[in-house]
Amino acid sequence: MTFTGFAHHELRLTWRDWSWIFSGWRNRSTRRALIGMAIFTAILHLIAYAVLSPFFERGGTPDQTTLAILTVSVVLGFTMMLSQAMESVTRAFYARDDLDLILSSPAPSRDLFLVRIGMMGLTSWIMSVLMVAPFINIAAALGGPAWLAGYAVMLAVSLLATGAAVLGTLALFRWIGPKRTRLIAQIAAAVIGAAFLIGLQVVAIVSYGSMSRFALFAPDFVARHAPDTASPLWSLAHAMTGQTAPLLALLLGSIVFFAAAAWVGAIQFRRIVVAALGVHEPARRQRGGTRPFRSRSTGAALMHKELRLIARDPWLISQTLMQVLYLLPPAVMLYVSFGSDTRIAVIVAPVVVMAVGQLAGGLAWLTISGEDAPDLIATAPVQPSARLWAKIEAVLVIVAVVVSPLAIGLATVSPWGAVVTFLGALTAASCAILVQLWFRSQAKRTMFRRRQVASKVSTIAEAVASILCAGTTALVAASQPLAIIPAILLLLVMGIAWSISPKERTIAIA
Amino acid sequence: MPGSSSHSVALEIGGLRKVFTETAVDDLDLTIRAGEFYALLGPNGAGKTTTLRMVAGLLKADAGAVSICGIDAFADPVEAKRVLAWVPDEPMIYDKLTPLEYLEFVAGLWSMDADLARFRADALLEQFGLSDHADERCGGFSKGMRQKVALAGALIHEPRLIILDEPLTGLDAGSARQVKSVLQGLVATGVTVIMTTHILEVAERMADRIGVIAKGRLIAEGTLAELRERASTGGITLEDIFLEIVAGATPEEALAEGKAA
Repeated sequence: MTFTGFAHHELRLTWRDWSWIFSGWRNRSTRRALIGMAIFTAILHLIAYAVLSPFFERGGTPDQTTLAILTVSVVLGFTMMLSQAMESVTRAFYARDDLDLILSSPAPSRDLFLVRIGMMGLTSWIMSVLMVAPFINIAAALGGPAWLAGYAVMLAVSLLATGAAVLGTLALFRWIGPKRTRLIAQIAAAVIGAAFLIGLQVVAIVSYGSMSRFALFAPDFVARHAPDTASPLWSLAHAMTGQTAPLLALLLGSIVFFAAAAWVGAIQFRRIVVAALGVHEPARRQRGGTRPFRSRSTGAALMHKELRLIARDPWLISQTLMQVLYLLPPAVMLYVSFGSDTRIAVIVAPVVVMAVGQLAGGLAWLTISGEDAPDLIATAPVQPSARLWAKIEAVLVIVAVVVSPLAIGLATVSPWGAVVTFLGALTAASCAILVQLWFRSQAKRTMFRRRQVASKVSTIAEAVASILCAGTTALVAASQPLAIIPAILLLLVMGIAWSISPKERTIAIA
Repeated sequence: MPGSSSHSVALEIGGLRKVFTETAVDDLDLTIRAGEFYALLGPNGAGKTTTLRMVAGLLKADAGAVSICGIDAFADPVEAKRVLAWVPDEPMIYDKLTPLEYLEFVAGLWSMDADLARFRADALLEQFGLSDHADERCGGFSKGMRQKVALAGALIHEPRLIILDEPLTGLDAGSARQVKSVLQGLVATGVTVIMTTHILEVAERMADRIGVIAKGRLIAEGTLAELRERASTGGITLEDIFLEIVAGATPEEALAEGKAA
């Protein structure tokens, strides 16, 4: 098979994957999905207009604060793409899928990897564009076509992130070997992803006007500490605003870097994959062989099993509890504001709610879809509803354990804020669990990270629902009537998710 | 509805039907007596696994009725599952649990008494030669060992009806013999075993009765001797008989058809 043959094969698989994800091969669903996405995109454009119009009404000339925000946004976007790319590259090396077939064929594996890494870069760009396109479009409409350069910047950043992920993974292979690279790379990907969201959270806190503690982006702070607007340190921001020289330099540099990384990776692809496929889990002994069994109800047995499986899997812990990291900044703020600032709930509540939504989503996937013995569970003499509830309980217990300390701390400062946070967190967890229920499809737990690839709709719905829950909670905590807007959007998102979820279930709930 | 169920009947299926894009199971009727070793044969896609998954409550039937040891499995699935065990072709166990922990978990699902469950777990691990691995995580086990752990899990609650879907696929000779020996021992104690298999020699040697399914229908049933009598060519091995029944022609004709295709 030639390079173009591989490219055709990969494009076809990717296209069918996306078609399946968005339509389930049903025209009615496709129409509804397209209508839903069109409405959602229109709403995002309205939000972008609300955010950007004051800037352009002031003349649209980027000052230091604007350049700082643009630069930080691009850098944060890079970390998110890097996280996704590291996960994709690791999967390309370790997932067996079709590698046995391709590597045992006379086709050049180098070409395959070149195509796959190209697809990673392209997918990363498309995903990022889906999120930022409304802002770029509105900026171009209000400030001129030069702002369309944002698309090119996102492409360059995608290429840089994908190339960096390839080189990073290769370096890990060289330094720590194939046995540990998978775990370390995936944990690193999760940490980098979390770092992005924590960064976003900082920006969000700043935009809520939390003043001195996070005044990094305050105009007077930026004016005092940041370089002049003409400084080359703002090159990323200048490229975003459409300045030709930095834009071309960024594009050219990213293409060269990406090509070099892809080539280096492609040359080593076969050797690394063969090493990775040879990795086997060694026999590990547990204590307690002579202890008596404990009597448990079915629900307790299920919950105990879920907790034990998660506790024994450091990779799963890193993936599921990474959201706990998001709670660190508000926890610090809560500590600093202890007893002095009752408005702290406005800042803390949305972050807690966001983290709970993400945490509950991951755990719900693990317990509902990621069941390694679905037939065993489904043939147990228990009502399906009781089985399902036991799994949901396991999710809620873990979420409660993680969130309780922060909620209790918040209650001592602002009881009203604690109540709002509790209700918001409950709503976010419920939304995440519902999305996982609607889009459940049986898979191995080891597919945890791939759940985002396998069902992009559920991933997007889960993330957007968490964001909207967080927004609603923040506005309610601030006693703002505008809270009704994100609340309505939340209902809309959940309605769209339900309408396009698969309705025919041929398997029993495990 | 197979309403005439008595204790001598382990499984009674009446008018069972399942349609996906095509009909997978077509008004299937089947009765299996208690204490019987029943082998269900059929070509790929005949509807064997679909039938048994509906019996086990893993798949919703479009029509028909299933009675397990006198219990209406569709009206009262929880009670039916108490006496049933299902072993799929791919052993589904948890890599991060040890065999002992897995058995404790299964015992919890069936709400077993803890002491009895521990006693049964030790006995089963001993029976399957897994005692030395009782505290090792299953992640590093071979397919044979995993299949034996899954089988031990299926047996811990002492089911009266065991359904096995291709239980010997991928097992080495030693493991296969061990599993066959355990199954024969169970039948000797009055447990009913239903097994699908593509290894006709196993069905020939072990089964009391054999059912042949094709295109979702039971097209032949009986002891080996009865099936041999039915075969017009008087085939000697089950393979001869099976090919003739399934193809509706002599084995030679079936083979010739295969070549022509």
